[in-house]
This record gives sequence, C-alpha cells and structure tokens, in this order.
Amino acid sequence: MGGLDRRSFLGRLGLAGALGGAAVIGGKDLVVAQSPSPGEHHGGSASLHETAHGGHGVVGKVDHARNGFHPLEILSDFDGGVVSTDQSGRTVREYEFVAVNKDIEVAPGIFFPAWTYNGRVPGPTIRATEGDRIVIKLVNATDHRHTMHFHGFHSAEMDGIPGAGEVGPGETFTYDFIAEPFGTHLYHCHSLPLASHIHRGLYGAFIVDPKEGRPPANEMVMVMNAFDTNFDGENEIYAANTVAFAYQTDPIPIKLGELQRLHVINITEFDPVNSIHLHATFFDLYRTGTRLKSDEFTDTISMGQAERHMIEFKYDKPGQYMFHAHQTEFTELGWMGFFEVS
Amino acid sequence: MSTATRAPAATRWIRLAGVLALLGALLFSFTFVGKLTLRDVPPVEAVAFERTILEPGKVELHLRNDGRDEVRIAQILINDAYWTFEIGDPVLGRLESTVLSAEYPWDDGNPLAITLITSTGVTIVHEIEAASATPETDARTIWTYAALGIYIGLIPVLIGLFAFPFLKRMPGRWLGFFLGLTIGLLVFLLVDTFAEGSELAGEAPSALDGLGLFAIGAVLVVLALTWFEGWQKRRSSEAGSEPLRLAYLIATGIGLHNLGEGLAVGAALAAGEVGLGAGLIVGFALHNTTEGLAIVSPLGGKERPSLVHFLGLGAVAGLPTVVGAWAGGFAFSASWASLAFGVAFGAIAQVIWTISRSMKGEAALSRGLPAVGLAVGLIVMYTTGLIV
Repeated sequence: MGGLDRRSFLGRLGLAGALGGAAVIGGKDLVVAQSPSPGEHHGGSASLHETAHGGHGVVGKVDHARNGFHPLEILSDFDGGVVSTDQSGRTVREYEFVAVNKDIEVAPGIFFPAWTYNGRVPGPTIRATEGDRIVIKLVNATDHRHTMHFHGFHSAEMDGIPGAGEVGPGETFTYDFIAEPFGTHLYHCHSLPLASHIHRGLYGAFIVDPKEGRPPANEMVMVMNAFDTNFDGENEIYAANTVAFAYQTDPIPIKLGELQRLHVINITEFDPVNSIHLHATFFDLYRTGTRLKSDEFTDTISMGQAERHMIEFKYDKPGQYMFHAHQTEFTELGWMGFFEVS
Repeated sequence: MSTATRAPAATRWIRLAGVLALLGALLFSFTFVGKLTLRDVPPVEAVAFERTILEPGKVELHLRNDGRDEVRIAQILINDAYWTFEIGDPVLGRLESTVLSAEYPWDDGNPLAITLITSTGVTIVHEIEAASATPETDARTIWTYAALGIYIGLIPVLIGLFAFPFLKRMPGRWLGFFLGLTIGLLVFLLVDTFAEGSELAGEAPSALDGLGLFAIGAVLVVLALTWFEGWQKRRSSEAGSEPLRLAYLIATGIGLHNLGEGLAVGAALAAGEVGLGAGLIVGFALHNTTEGLAIVSPLGGKERPSLVHFLGLGAVAGLPTVVGAWAGGFAFSASWASLAFGVAFGAIAQVIWTISRSMKGEAALSRGLPAVGLAVGLIVMYTTGLIV
C-alpha cells in the first residue's frame, strides 16, 4: 500500500499545481486500462472492433463466474425442464424457479442490485413444443411480492398478476398451463409497481417450437435489456443478455454458411423502442415467431417493449460482423457486439 | 503560603483532567458505543472534479472523493457513450484524489459532458459548457502570467513611485480625492472578489468547505497585515525610524497584498473568468499606482532615493504579484482558488481600512472631494466592467 500512499500524497500535491499533476501523470503509478486504447493494435482481426470506434467502450472485464452466468452460454442454454409423460401421452415439463436478489456486474466494475429468477438475468430460457404441459413452481426468496406472467395462452388464474398467482415473500405458487401458440415469447414479473419489477431483472425467454419443427439451424436467444443503475428513470446500460459490450469483448462464434436462427426479445424499460441491426447481411423476419413463413426481408427491426421476433440469416464470408441497436445512443451505452464468422 | 497556593493548583489540574476525561468518554461513547443512527444510511458517493485539462484529442480530470464513503470509479461516459480511460487508482478513499485521462476527439466550442459511473451505478456528471484547450504549462504561458504580474504589480507601483513628487505637492483635498477614488475601486473589487470567491467556493469539494477556506484566507491575511503594520510602527518608533527601511517595510506589506491580487487574477483567468480577470487587471493596475505613493511617503519630499532603491522598492512591492499569478494560474482548483480569493478579499479589505484611516483633515471622506472620488471610483470600475 506504500504506492497508494505515495500516490495520494502526490495527488494532493498535484492538485496544488499543474506541475505536480503532471508528475502524477508522468510517473509510473498509472495503471494502464486493461482495454487497449485505439491504434495500439495492428493486424489481427480480433482487434478489428476495438479500432473501429476509437476509444469507445468500457475498461476492464466482467467477472462472469461471479455473476454465475456467461453471456455466450446464455445465448443457447435452452431449458426443457424435467421431462415426463402423463397418462394421455402429453409431454410434461416441470421447473422450479426461485426469485432471489443478486448484485450483477452489468458492465466491468458496475454492480446492479438485480431481482432475478434463479440468480441470473435474463432468467432461464424455457423451451417447449407446442402442446406440452408446463408446470413451474415459483419460490419467492425475496422480501417483495413477485409473479411469473407468461405471454401465451393460459387460464385467468394462471395469469401471474396481483390476485392470480402472485407470490409473497417466503411463499410458493405453481403455474400450470399448455405451451401455445408456437413462437418466440417471454415471461416476466407482473407485480406492482410494474416498471420496477421488470427493470430490476425479472424476465426471460419462453420459446415454443411448432409441432412440425423447423429446419435445422444454430439457435440463439438475445433478450434486449437495459439497466437504470442510478435509479433516475433513465438507463445507463443497454445490452443484449444483460452485460454491456459482452459480445464485443467475446464475439459470438458462428459457422460460415450455417443458418442462424435468433430469437430477439425486447424487455427494455423506460425507452419506448429498441431495435436490432445486423451488419453486412439481411435476415428473414418471422414476427413473434408465430408463422412458418417469413414476413419480411430486412436488416433492421424496431420493437416496443415485449415485442419479439425470430430472425434467420447466414454469413457467407468469414470475418467479424457487428450487430447493434440502431438507436445509436443504445449502441454506445453497451448494446452492440460482433459475430465471428469462420 | 506556598503550601496554600499549591493545593488549589493541584486541584485545578485534577479538575481539568477530569473534564477532559469526561469529554473524551462522551466522544468515545457517541462515536463507537451508542451510535445515534435511526437506520442504516446507504453510502454517499461524491466525487469532485477539481481540475479539467483539455488537450487536443485528450481529456484529463483531477478527481477528489468528496463524500463520506469510499468510491470506486468503474466506467466513464463521454457525451453519453462509454469511453476507455486510464486512471491512477480507481478506488478513492475519503478526500483521496486521482487523475483520470481519456483519448477523446472533443469538439472545440461545443459542450462536453463527462459522467463517472461508480461500482454501485451512481453517476456523477461534469459538464463543460464550451470545450476549449487548457493553457499548457509551457514557457510561453509561464511568461504570460509573469508579464501579467509585471503589468499589474511592478509597473504600476513603479509609476506610482515616480509620480511621487507630483502627488506630494498636491493640495490635501485633491490627495483626498485620489485616495477616495482608490477606495472606490477597491470597494468594487471587494464585492466582486466576494461574489466570485463564494461562487468558486460552491464548486469546491464540499468536504473541503470552500467558503471556510475563503474565510480563513481573508481573516488570516487581515491578521497578518494588521500585525505587520503594528510591528512596523513599533520598529520605526523605537529605532528612530530610518526612512528607507520603513519604506521597505511598507513595500513588504504591500507585496503581501499584491501576492493575493496576483492569485486572484491568475485564478480568475485560469478559471476562464476572463471578464473578472480583465477587470482585476485594470483595477489592480490603477490602484497599485497609488501604492507607490504609500511606499515613498515616509521618505519625505526632501531627498530623492537612488534609482536602485526605487527599483528595489518596486520589486519588493510588485514582484509578489508575479508569484501570485503563477500560483493562481497553474494551481487552479476551486478549493485553492477559494483560499486565494479569500486572501485577496482580506488584503483588499485591510488596505481599504488602512487608507480610510489615513484620510484626515481636508482629505477625510466626510469632505466633498474625497467622497466624490469614492463615487467616481465605483463608477469607473462598473464602467470598465461593462467595456471589458
């Protein structure tokens, strides 16, 4: 700690004069940021994105192990639950969800006091086939009331709102319904005040496959979310799957020519619209994923909160391709990344 | 007799020790034992931007933890975009400081908002209304500040010194007019210094209490100058008053006052207060001319001192302005500037007091011409403020 003492001493003197200040800067005490500054990299495609935007980005790395989840894994960790078959031959998928509070590192060094399902944001990606029975036991280990409200067909008592399936602290409730219609859906807490419960992290993807299946593809889920770290009603962090710039730091590896199927879900609070734009390719857009035929062929799609789509695309040239919100403010606040095509 | 006085003395010491022990016990129990907190208070993270240095393509921030609790700086936003940066030690204990720098292509003349995000997600914003390059600490800038000090300190004092035979022959009431004019200028500067000083005090880290520094600077300099004045009088009376030595003593006092002026001007210019800086230059230059008179007055009109002594007196009284301008210009931070403005405030107030006490007889402020002089002084300052 001698170095620290010396630094603060110098720092104080430094404030007494710019010459002193220059001594601090000129000295060897400066810890150089882990993230490389622009222009330091020459050659090598790994640094392409670092030079593309100058000094834009964050310093340091998120400790994903401490968070308990990695954004690269969250892309495709589909959770089919504990599977069994009932007397009628219907597939039953059973889950246990626990609502817990957890500090999550949403950008290097920035910790957000999240409310989570199973200690992660977004919560587990529930995946079922149209017609499966879903049985989810929600345990509330927090000191607020919570629910799980599913976008899909279900009865009024399974709606997961105050008065129907709301779980008080220490209590449990079991949601029981049939997974339909097929498509890209979501679930989220519907306790009041709603904006707080959603923006604190209580949401996740709910993917229902059509009975007839879809063509083989590399499937991924991106939940577009944001965090108001100072609780002033505006977001400081935007991301796909929680961690700002995660896919800039660790580009998503995909195979050349392989069909990519991406489920994009917008749960961003406080902003009316979010979007996704893919560089250097176009995608087939399946609105809400509820049809088997493409609705549109485009490279940018805007979505309000809870809007979600399935998009399919390919890359036929190797390299790094950026994707980001085309609200450029969101891009610069963390919602951007790269596909590493090889 | 001796035993009779010793016993009460011992009792007094014991009582004093008892009082101190009780006071210590009270403080200890209040701080460590029975904390009078009604609930857990979340950490208060506060960081002051003490100095912002803009170079082409680079932003440098001098930060100080201004709150009660430790602050860890996690990321920064520049104009609403995350930006890479370098920092000395991102963890700042109470009142600790650090330097943060970022390569950023800032735009000349346009607003620049720098947001610090702490580990808890708290944002601390520093807004620069119009970005422009900070003067560098190079030979040219050092010379510019030195020249400034010479303009407002050395040259006017020398002019005053050389105008001394003319002023010496002036009738008392006209001397009163000029002294009144000087007071008018100084009163205006006093108010201005207070206004600017208190504004800067508001920008200083709250833990360092800018207004407190201002007050300390003002009071201490008044005490120092008053003591100096008294010491000088005592010396001159007992030593049979060597006129030249007295002149040097007065020059030293005025030099101390001019150090404050230099600080004020340097700090005002460094803070981007160009209007106030120019006003101070004009005001100080005008009134420093009268300081020359004050210095040579004990010499009497009979024999003119040698040129070397004239220059020496001028240097003693005027050159501290250069030192002040350097300190004010290069050491600029809101806290130091608060102290500097306090020193200037005290020095100005003390000089006003000294001059007004010296105005007697025909030169008294109750006479017409000196009062008119004061009014003219105020109006001149106000008008120069409008023009500059």
